[in-house]
Amino acid sequence: MNTAIEIRNLQFRYPDGKEALSGVSFSIADGECVGLVGPNGSGKSTLLLHLNGILPEAYPATPNIIIYGKSLSKDTAADIRRDVGLLFQDPDDQLFCPTVFEDVAFGPQQFGLDEEQVRNVVAKALEQTALLGSENRSPHHLSSGEKRRVCLAGVLACEPRVLALDEPTSNLDPRGKRSLIKTLKSIPATKIIATHDLEMVVELCSRTIVLDQGTIIADGPTHQLLGDEQLMLAHGLEKPHILRHIHPH
Amino acid sequence: MHLPDGFLDVKTAVATGLFSATGLGAALRHAGRHLKPRKIPLIGLTAAFIFVAQMLNFPVASGTSGHLLGSTFAAVLLGPSAAIIVMSSVLIVQSLIFADGGILALGANIFNMAIVAPLVGYGVYRALRLFLRGGQGQLVAVGFASWFSTVVAAIFCAGELAWSGTANWRAAFPAMAGTHMLTGLAEAAITMLIIAAVGRTRPELVTDVDNSAASSSGRSTTLVYCALIVIGLFLLVAPHASPLPDGLEKVAAELGFEHNAVSNPVVSSPLKDYQIPGIQSASTATIAAGAVGAIAVFALSFLLARVLLPRQKSDAHTSVSPNHQ
Amino acid sequence: MRHDFLDRYSRLDSPIHRLPTIVKLLGALGVVTASVSVSFTHPWFFVMVAGLLLILSAFTTIPWRFIFGRLVLLEPFALGIALMALLQENGGMLFLAILVKSTLCLLTVILLSNTTPFASLLQTMKRLGVPRLLVTILALMYRYLFVLIDEAERLNRARASRTFSASRTKKWHMLASLIGQLFVRSTERAERIYAAMTARGWK
Repeated sequence: MNTAIEIRNLQFRYPDGKEALSGVSFSIADGECVGLVGPNGSGKSTLLLHLNGILPEAYPATPNIIIYGKSLSKDTAADIRRDVGLLFQDPDDQLFCPTVFEDVAFGPQQFGLDEEQVRNVVAKALEQTALLGSENRSPHHLSSGEKRRVCLAGVLACEPRVLALDEPTSNLDPRGKRSLIKTLKSIPATKIIATHDLEMVVELCSRTIVLDQGTIIADGPTHQLLGDEQLMLAHGLEKPHILRHIHPH
Repeated sequence: MHLPDGFLDVKTAVATGLFSATGLGAALRHAGRHLKPRKIPLIGLTAAFIFVAQMLNFPVASGTSGHLLGSTFAAVLLGPSAAIIVMSSVLIVQSLIFADGGILALGANIFNMAIVAPLVGYGVYRALRLFLRGGQGQLVAVGFASWFSTVVAAIFCAGELAWSGTANWRAAFPAMAGTHMLTGLAEAAITMLIIAAVGRTRPELVTDVDNSAASSSGRSTTLVYCALIVIGLFLLVAPHASPLPDGLEKVAAELGFEHNAVSNPVVSSPLKDYQIPGIQSASTATIAAGAVGAIAVFALSFLLARVLLPRQKSDAHTSVSPNHQ
Repeated sequence: MRHDFLDRYSRLDSPIHRLPTIVKLLGALGVVTASVSVSFTHPWFFVMVAGLLLILSAFTTIPWRFIFGRLVLLEPFALGIALMALLQENGGMLFLAILVKSTLCLLTVILLSNTTPFASLLQTMKRLGVPRLLVTILALMYRYLFVLIDEAERLNRARASRTFSASRTKKWHMLASLIGQLFVRSTERAERIYAAMTARGWK
């Protein structure tokens, strides 16, 4: 099976010491859906920012991030950004164009597609996120659920092989959550989802990685990890309700 | 100071429009060449920030309030070229979307508030920083520069009104310069307060500005900026400078610098014969007030800086260490 | 989202709204230039322009209350500066002329801005050769204007719920501190936006 993501002993430290990563290693196979959970400040967001090379500012001599066989370096960063689509926590940070269409078209345009190709790819992405017809709307007229969907569309339009999502269900009402989960289920890309929403992890991810203070505490089947009450409580989490009536066997 | 349409005649609008286009063009060219792409969202966001900040009212006396213009603030924190772009963007959006400031008058408004004000503010700030050191010194320099640039911008505005024939220089100059010596006080105080507030949460945003490469303009850009200010002064202000030798006044008249009053007085002004006692010397009075005002602003800035940063001495050896250069 | 009033009418569907942006832009510029250049000794011209603008206003289907509300809001500034004209000879005529001209120009821009989405204006600017950097910055500015207004409101509400009675000096300090916070947040958001832009391939 193809390895989509390989992380080898990743270390990182912000200048003020916040959210460091100390020696994180794991691999994710093509098509897998992995949940990344942990308490606040554990390094989840920081880890995601490494996947497409936004961090660190200067890449190390020995590459420790390998995406579909390509090692992350200054030369490969642009390519890797096509393969890894990152959905940021705050949709307002990511939705920076004047209209929905322009924003979703941003990625494809940057990657050099021509007008016709851009239009096709944007239409497909809007359809996947149930936003057809909203092309001309301005971001400040959208609800937060809609903004999130536009951001997802913008990422999908780049046709990435890996989807890295940072707290995708935060600030969504139950309906918005349902709709997002349904959409994510229909996308075949490899997925890694950093989240506090443990119910969603149970529903979407067969595998879970628990991160705390920049180190991997556990990496295994979702039901096993999230069903382990002691493990959950020890790392600022709790056993999701959905698993409360399931006995591990 | 946002001039609506209808106050400037076409020639003034076109001339100031050309100045603005040149200044803004130079700033854009400089930014395009020297600005790191990482700064572009910062410039966009700062423009949005200044727009919002301008909407917030600082209560003065019952009914009146002051608010930030922001030209000097932007110039000190982002450098002159970025500030020109920031302030121009604010004025463009205000004019086109909110009808705050005319569209034909946009050239003049940009010239006054987005080119003259930031450049003068920046220049005065840097000059003062040569001998005003430390945190307190920075605040004093910012305060005085803010006041001064506001007054200068108002003087240019008066010059434009006079050149258009809308108002007599003898009335416009004292009115504009006078009122803006007062609003300039608010600008100085507010700018100092905000920079002090920013310095408390993120000192590196404030202490690095003097070293940052982003603030320095290339030689050709600086030349363009200086040329614009000088030409502006020459065209808009100098013709009205008090004791013009007769010969020069005749030349000025021939070049159309003298205003043309409307020739068909169906309604004659009730104030036609109104004369403030000694109105001939209103200009001189204004200049004198300006000099006194400058000293007062300096003093007040020193006092305010003391209040805002009580523990820092304006001593070259006391420094808040910058994180990077 | 409360401040959609600032942009509420720019996407209506009326004959005026449907006109290409460049026509509206150049038309507005034309009306303004003409109003400014034509001498007030031809009052019929201004009556014509006023009539034209009122007819156009009717066609835009924008509520009259809104249009005149904006007019009334912005008029005082013109009034203030126009008073200076009174201190000249023949000032009365000049004062009237200025008032009429500026009002007509104001109405023109109100119509322009409320029948044209800002995004279209940006596209038109790009086509007219406005430097790309400036268009990008205007787009970013307009986009985040509403976000910052929201943030400012939130900061203000948080401050107000902890303030009971404040002297004027305290008010100034608190307002300045709010603005300072807003600036710091803006710089932090700018960093995140830059990350989001690079993530989708921006160079």
